[in-house]
Amino acid sequence: MILAPAIPSYDWSQALADLGQISPIATLVGFMLLAIVSDLVLPRSRRGGVVAMITVTGLAYSLGTAVYRWIYAVGGPAYYGMATGDSFALFFDIIFASLGILTVAISHSYLVKRGMRESEFHILILASVIGMMVLAAATSLVTVFLGLELLSIALYIVCSFARDESSSQEAGAKYLLVGGFASAFVLYGMALVYGASGTTLIPKIATVLGSSAAGNPLLILGIVLMGVGFAFKVSAAPFHMWTPDVYQGAPIPVTAFMSVGTKAAAFAMIVRVFEGGLPHLAPEWQTLLAFVAATSMIVGNLMAIVQTSLKRLLAYSGIAQAGYILIGVIAGGQTGLEAVLYYLFVYMFMNFGAFAVLTLLAGPDGDRDSFADLEGLARRNWLLGLGMTVFMLSLAGFPPSVGFFGKLFLFTAGVGAGYTWLVVLAVLMSVVSVFYYVRVLIPIWSPSPRVDGVPASFSSRFAIALSGLASLGLGLYPTTLLIAGQIGATPINGP
Amino acid sequence: MTLTVLWLLPLLSAPLIAFMPPRFAKWMSVLASLVILLIAAGVAFLFDSTWHGYQFEEQVPWIPQLHVFYHLGVDGISIWLVVLNALLTVIAVLATPLSTKNISKFLALMLAMSAGMTGVFLSVDLVLFYVFWEAMLIPAYFLLWMFGEGERPARAAIKFVLFTLAGSLLMLVGVIGEYVFTGQQTFDLAQLATIPPSATIQFGLFFVFALAFAIKTPLFPFHSWLPDAYMAAPTPMLVLFAGVMGKAGAYGFLRIAVPLFPDPVGWWDWRWVVPALAVAAIIWGALMAIVQRDMKLLVAYSSVSHMGFIVLGIFSYNIQGQQGAVLQMVNHGIIIPALFLFVAWIADRTGTRDRSALAGLAPRMPVLAGVFLIAVLAALGLPGLNSFVGEFMTLLGAWERAPVLAAIGAIGLVLAPVYLLRMFQGAMYGEPAGPRPSGDIHAGQLALVAPLIILMFAIGLYPYALTQLMASVAQVGLYK
Repeated sequence: MILAPAIPSYDWSQALADLGQISPIATLVGFMLLAIVSDLVLPRSRRGGVVAMITVTGLAYSLGTAVYRWIYAVGGPAYYGMATGDSFALFFDIIFASLGILTVAISHSYLVKRGMRESEFHILILASVIGMMVLAAATSLVTVFLGLELLSIALYIVCSFARDESSSQEAGAKYLLVGGFASAFVLYGMALVYGASGTTLIPKIATVLGSSAAGNPLLILGIVLMGVGFAFKVSAAPFHMWTPDVYQGAPIPVTAFMSVGTKAAAFAMIVRVFEGGLPHLAPEWQTLLAFVAATSMIVGNLMAIVQTSLKRLLAYSGIAQAGYILIGVIAGGQTGLEAVLYYLFVYMFMNFGAFAVLTLLAGPDGDRDSFADLEGLARRNWLLGLGMTVFMLSLAGFPPSVGFFGKLFLFTAGVGAGYTWLVVLAVLMSVVSVFYYVRVLIPIWSPSPRVDGVPASFSSRFAIALSGLASLGLGLYPTTLLIAGQIGATPINGP
Repeated sequence: MTLTVLWLLPLLSAPLIAFMPPRFAKWMSVLASLVILLIAAGVAFLFDSTWHGYQFEEQVPWIPQLHVFYHLGVDGISIWLVVLNALLTVIAVLATPLSTKNISKFLALMLAMSAGMTGVFLSVDLVLFYVFWEAMLIPAYFLLWMFGEGERPARAAIKFVLFTLAGSLLMLVGVIGEYVFTGQQTFDLAQLATIPPSATIQFGLFFVFALAFAIKTPLFPFHSWLPDAYMAAPTPMLVLFAGVMGKAGAYGFLRIAVPLFPDPVGWWDWRWVVPALAVAAIIWGALMAIVQRDMKLLVAYSSVSHMGFIVLGIFSYNIQGQQGAVLQMVNHGIIIPALFLFVAWIADRTGTRDRSALAGLAPRMPVLAGVFLIAVLAALGLPGLNSFVGEFMTLLGAWERAPVLAAIGAIGLVLAPVYLLRMFQGAMYGEPAGPRPSGDIHAGQLALVAPLIILMFAIGLYPYALTQLMASVAQVGLYK
C-alpha cells in the first residue's frame, strides 16, 4: 500500500485544460476579484452601481461559457478527478448563473431603498454562486465539502445583512449555528464513507465498494449522517426548523436567492454523492430519503396553511417542494434525474418570481410580507399582480404551468420506480397546498381602496416578466428543457 | 386545424376582450362564440357516422420522452358535447347583462372556461385531457369568486376548487398509473382501451378516476360543493357551469372509466358501486329538490337527480343505456340552463326566488309562463319532448343490466313531477300574491331561449337524428 502516492507531473497545458473544464467557475472567480478591487478603489458613491455591473457581466459571461460548453458537449474530469465539467455540472452552472443575474436584477433597487451597502452584497452573492457551482462540479468528497462551505459562509453573512435589524441578525446567527451543525454531520458521514472505501473520489467509491458493500454498518451510518446534513441543506423535514426563521429574517432578495440556490445546490450534492458514489447502497439511502420526503410534504404543506407572513408561507411551501423533488431523487435512474433537473430549473422561475414580487413591496423601513400588503396588487401594479398569480398557480401545480409538468415528470418517475404510496401522499398534500397558494391570490384580486402604486425598476420588471413567461412557456413547450435534463442526467448514470 | 381553432380561438380572444370597453367586449364575445358555434356545427355536419374512429384528427408530438401527444379528435360521443358547449357559450354570453360589473373580465373568463371544456371533450390523449380538465378550474374559480352572488362567494369558490382538485389530483396518479402499469407506455385513449391492465390494478385505477368524475358530476355522497357553488354562480355562468361542466364528469366516466377498465374487480366490483351511487343521486337529488323553497336551489338539486340517470345509463354497459346517456347529456344541457334562466328572470322581475312567496304569476307574465311550462314539462320527461327518449333509453339499458336499478331509478321519474310541478303551479297559478312582477320577459330574452325550446321539441320528436350519428365510437368497450 502506497501511503504517499507519487505526485504526477503537472504542466501548463494540463493546468489550462483543467481550468477550461471549470471555466464557468474560474470566470466568476476572476470577476469576483475584480469586483473586490473596484470596491476598494472606487469612490463610495460609484461603488454600488459599478460592482453590480461587474457582477452581472461576470455572471453573464459565466452563463455564456456554460451554455457554449453545454451545446458543444465538451466536459470531463479535471484536477485528477476532484472536479468535473460534465453536462450535469454545466446544467447547474446555467441555473446558478441565471439565478445570480435575477438576484442582482431585483436587489439593486431594494438595497438602495433600504440604504444597505450594495457592493459587499453583490460580492457575497457572487461568492455564494461560486460555492454552488463548485458543489455541482465536485466529484470528490473534499471538493463537495469545499463548495458547501463556500456557499454557506457567504450566505451566513448576507442573511444578517440588515445589520441594525434584530430579526436579520437572528437569521444570520441561526443559519450559522444550524449550518455548522449540518456541515459537521456531512463531514462525519464523509469520514465514515472514506473509512469504508479508502478514497474520497466519488466515482472510485462506487467501484471500490462494489455490490458487496450492502449492509456494511460503517457505510449505513455514513449514509444516515450525510443524509441528515443534506436534508438540513435542502430544508427537508424533520430538519427544517431553521428555514422559516431564516427566510423571514433575511432580507428578501437573499431569501429569494437562497430558497432556490441552496436547494438546487444541495440536490446536486445529493445526486452526486448518493446516486454517483453509493449506487450499491441505493435501498438504504432510498428508504432514508423516502422518510424525509414524506415528512417534508406533510409538515411543509400543513404548516404553510396557518402562516400569516408570506415569507414564512413560502418557506414552508419550499419545504414541501423539497419533498416532491426528493421523489425524483429516490426514483433515480434516467427518468428520475431528468425530472429532478427539470423541476429544479423551473422551480427557480416560479419560486424566485414569487419572492421578487415581495421584494418590490418592501419599504425603506423594512420588508412588507403580510397578506394585507398584497391588497389590490393587481390594480396597483398589474405586472406584479399577474406575475404573482402565475407563480402561485404554478407552485400549486395547475396546468399548463411548469409546476404541473414538473410534478407530472416527478410523479411518473416515482410510480415507475414503485413508489406509488409516496406519489399518492404527494398528490393528497398537493390538494392541501392549493388552499394556501390560492389564499395568496385573494388579496391580490379583491377590490381594495388602496391606490398607492408599487414602483418597480426596469431590471425588476424584467426579472418578474421573464420568470412569469418561463413559468408558462416552459410548460406549454416542455420538450426542450426535458431534453436538456436528459443530457444533464446522463453522466451520472453513464457507463 | 379545425379542432384546434375550436378551443384556441376563445382562449386567445379572452385576454383581448378583458381589456375592451363593456359594450364592445360583449359584442366581440358574441362574435367569437358565434364563429365557434359555426365551426362546431360545420364539424357536426361533415361528421361521418359510419366511421369507427376519431375524425378531424390532429396529432403532434408534445412531450416525446413520455409519449405524450397533442392529439385531438371527435367521435359520436364528443361531437355532441362540443356543439352543446358552443351553443351554450353563445347563450351565456348573450345572457350577460351589460350592467354586470367588470363585464369585460367576466366575459373573458367565460370564454376561457368554455375553451377549457372544449379541450376536455376534444382530447384523445390522457395527459392532454388532464391538462384541460384542470385548466378549466382556474377561470371557474375566478368567476365564482369575483362575480359570485350571495354572502360568501369566495368560500363557495374555494370549496368547489378543493373538492374538484381532491379528485382530480388523485386522477393524476391514475393517469401515470395507466402509463406505467399497462406496460405499453402510451397515453392514447383509443389504444389504452385495447390493453387493460390486470384486474387488481384496474380496481385501483378505476377508483382514482371514478372519484374525480364522481365529484365533478356530482354523484350522491360527493355533491356537497354543488349547492354552494350553484347558489354563488351568476346565471350566465351557471348556463355553462351546470350545462356543460357537470357533463365533463359524466363524459369522463364514459370515455375513460368504462372502456379503459372493463374489469375493475378486486375487493368488490366497481361496476355495481357506481350505478348504485347513481341511483342514490337520483333519489337524493329529487328528495332534496322537493324540500327546497329557493327555486335556484331546487333546479340545482334536480340537476343532481338528472345527472344520476346519465351515469346510470353509462354503467348499464349496453348500447341503449350508453346512447341514452349521451342523448341525456345533451338534453340535460338544454333543459337545466333554460330552467336557471327562467328562475333568474322571475327573480329579476319580482325580487325573490322563494317559490312559496310567489303565486299567480302566469296571468301577469304570460309569455314567461308559456315557455317555462315547456321547459318544466321537458324536465319531468313528458313524451314528445327531449328528455323522455333519453331517460327511457337509460332506464331500458339499466333494466337489461339489473331490473332493480331501473326500478329504483324510475322512482326519480315519479318524484320529478312532484317538485317541478309544485314549483311551477305554486308560482304561476292561484290567487296572485307576493311581489308584483315589473313586467313580462322581453323579446330579446325570448329569442335567447328560443333555440333551447326548439331543440326540446326537435330532439323529442326526432331523436334518431342524434342517435344515428352517435353510432360512431372511437374506442372498443363502448356500446356493447
